[in-house]
Amino acid sequence: MPTLAQLQKVWLLSDTVLYPEAVAFIRKLVREQECDPLPTSQVAGLLSIAESLRYDELYRFILHQRERNWPPGKRDIKTFYTALEEVLGVMRRKRLKDEFRLLDGVSAGELKQETDALMALLAREFIQHLVAENGLVAAELADQHAHQRSSRRQV
Amino acid sequence: MNVDMLKVIREVSIEAEDFYEEAVKLGNHAAYALKARHRSQMTGLENIAESTFKTSDVFDYIKKQTARFPQWRQADPKARDPNQGFGERLKEHLEKKLARRLAALCGPRRLNIGEATDEERQMRRQIYLLLIRQFIRQVVVHYEYQVSLGNKK
Repeated sequence: MPTLAQLQKVWLLSDTVLYPEAVAFIRKLVREQECDPLPTSQVAGLLSIAESLRYDELYRFILHQRERNWPPGKRDIKTFYTALEEVLGVMRRKRLKDEFRLLDGVSAGELKQETDALMALLAREFIQHLVAENGLVAAELADQHAHQRSSRRQV
Repeated sequence: MNVDMLKVIREVSIEAEDFYEEAVKLGNHAAYALKARHRSQMTGLENIAESTFKTSDVFDYIKKQTARFPQWRQADPKARDPNQGFGERLKEHLEKKLARRLAALCGPRRLNIGEATDEERQMRRQIYLLLIRQFIRQVVVHYEYQVSLGNKK
């Protein structure tokens, strides 16, 4: 179970690192790779499993969604989960220890359990920020489309 | 790091005096966009700001409300940018203008809090949250005042 010091560090990372990275993640997918925002049903599923704080289950869910044979109209969902798996994979393998220094002083026997507990917290933070930004971008796009439709009708 | 919390509170109060006019403008915008019937959304915003440990929780809440409710995307024709919705304007103010105030407040001439250690970064984050709380309190108070004057529908 994470200590108060670890929790405080996670909150700090959430504000200063994960939040801007989650915003950039969504903006990059939508603006540069021209993906649609993640649909509401996917958002609800992802958020629900992230909030359960079971990292192994969350990771399995992400892999499952990535590996699914999505129809052509939903290929952006595969792109989203592929990118999310990459981000979380690097976070678990490298950043948690080397950059975030959240595993300092953790014994070898507790390493796997501590890593999963901390990753569950970090992933939840990251996904909460992703979901908020995703909703905002989706609403902006919907407003733009509505505006374009109304402009076309007026011509 | 040894920070005098009384000094922090005093400096935050000075900033709050300084950004009062901006908060009034945002309160007016909130009253124009949300009217009295969406009061609970302003209460929700204030509750989040008062109870959270993270500034990003406040930003996420604003984004979610902006995505969900068209009133939060409503622009104020009297604002400097008459195309910017309430949620976007509030988020921009908290993320950019208050962040600049935080940087000045933590600078060597005032609180002198660096960014080199986790302890310093934690302290900066706490002060940022204090600034956000003050600002949102002022916005909500002015919103309440405006809707009580008759912008009640």
